[in-house]
Amino acid sequence: MSSDGADVGETVVSGVPSFTLRLPNGRVEDGPVVDLRGDASEIPTGSQLRRAVRVGCPTRPTSPTVYSVRPGRAHAHVASLGPDTAIRSRAALAAVAVDIGIETPHDDDLVDALRSLRALSPAPIDDAELRAARRRAAVAGAETDRLRERVATVRGRVTALREAAADDVAADDAATAPSPDEALTEAEAALSDLTRQLSEVATERVAAAQRLRLLERRTRSARDQRNARIRLEDRVENCRRRVRAAHIDAVSDAFRDARAELDRWIVGDVVPEADTSELLDALAVARLAPIRAPLLVVGDVADALGGPDAAFDRLGAPLILR
Amino acid sequence: MLLVVTYSRRARETLRNACRSHEETVVRRFGRAALLRETEYGAFLACRLRERHAGNVQIERTEPFNEFADAPDTVREAASAYENRESPSTPYDRFAAGTDHPTSDAMREREL
Repeated sequence: MSSDGADVGETVVSGVPSFTLRLPNGRVEDGPVVDLRGDASEIPTGSQLRRAVRVGCPTRPTSPTVYSVRPGRAHAHVASLGPDTAIRSRAALAAVAVDIGIETPHDDDLVDALRSLRALSPAPIDDAELRAARRRAAVAGAETDRLRERVATVRGRVTALREAAADDVAADDAATAPSPDEALTEAEAALSDLTRQLSEVATERVAAAQRLRLLERRTRSARDQRNARIRLEDRVENCRRRVRAAHIDAVSDAFRDARAELDRWIVGDVVPEADTSELLDALAVARLAPIRAPLLVVGDVADALGGPDAAFDRLGAPLILR
Repeated sequence: MLLVVTYSRRARETLRNACRSHEETVVRRFGRAALLRETEYGAFLACRLRERHAGNVQIERTEPFNEFADAPDTVREAASAYENRESPSTPYDRFAAGTDHPTSDAMREREL
């Protein structure tokens, strides 16, 4: 790759789009390779640049702006390449496969499961209503129990008073007793009042229990649908896992090759331990993925790849060097 | 015991976490259901689940089933006789025909 290509800002690797970077100070640079090194005072920070790539425009006048193709999925995993770059390789490889458009035998299953899931909208469960019905049934039950006890007590008293009255009549000593008839009448009135109350709350208890049963029956069918939904959601999840595994599988050989190639090309000490280097993983992902929005590359890393143009060539991605 | 059944993925996840951190209160765990000990703490966990996931949580109170107290003798005896039948391929209703054992339809219609 010649440096001319980068200078005129045209797409020099087939399929790699160019981009334009506008800095807050008005400076405008065209990709596919923009080298910002050596201008420390006006250069935005790495995170400002990353954000600019991710969000595109418009931006605030104090922020840099990048005009480029929207980043693909893999881009986020390798947006910034430096000596301390970390990467979740499996997630990145799955993203690469999606960007490449790799199909798997599980795609149709997934689409199908997602369609079924969308088509399924379980009947709503009115929880407030259920809750109110449970409370009503509980209150009616407790009230019935309380009244039933009261009725038993008062009935006992009435019986006792009746017996006492009968004894009094038998003893023919009514004059000395403190009007037992009055007490009996009062107790009988209380009993009849309580009995009436009891029959009312007992009716209410039955009504409340019926209402609760009805609501619970309705809820049961809504829950059947929710059951079906959970099963579908699990199926979607399993499909996604299978698709992901197939995606990773489909690109892992190419990833290994890309990594080995890069390892051969890299000079210097940005990759001290090739076997475990996450930077090397990230570079291989960048090389493998169809990267269309610029990546931020630390100067040392670009130099280790043989300079800006060689880095551009080897990663096949538009670059901003800093 | 308290039977807690969940009907959404999030409710299931909450139940799983609750079971993991309160093993002493969990009698049994199934996929998206669990049996909790009938203590106030079991009720506390069940109430929390219902509070958070409302209609996606079903809570039932269960009791051990005593076939000598909870099922009519005819039913228990029919089950026992059928399980000890001589020909394993005989369907129940054919087995019950011509005997005193209740038909399956009759049993379906009667509540315990």
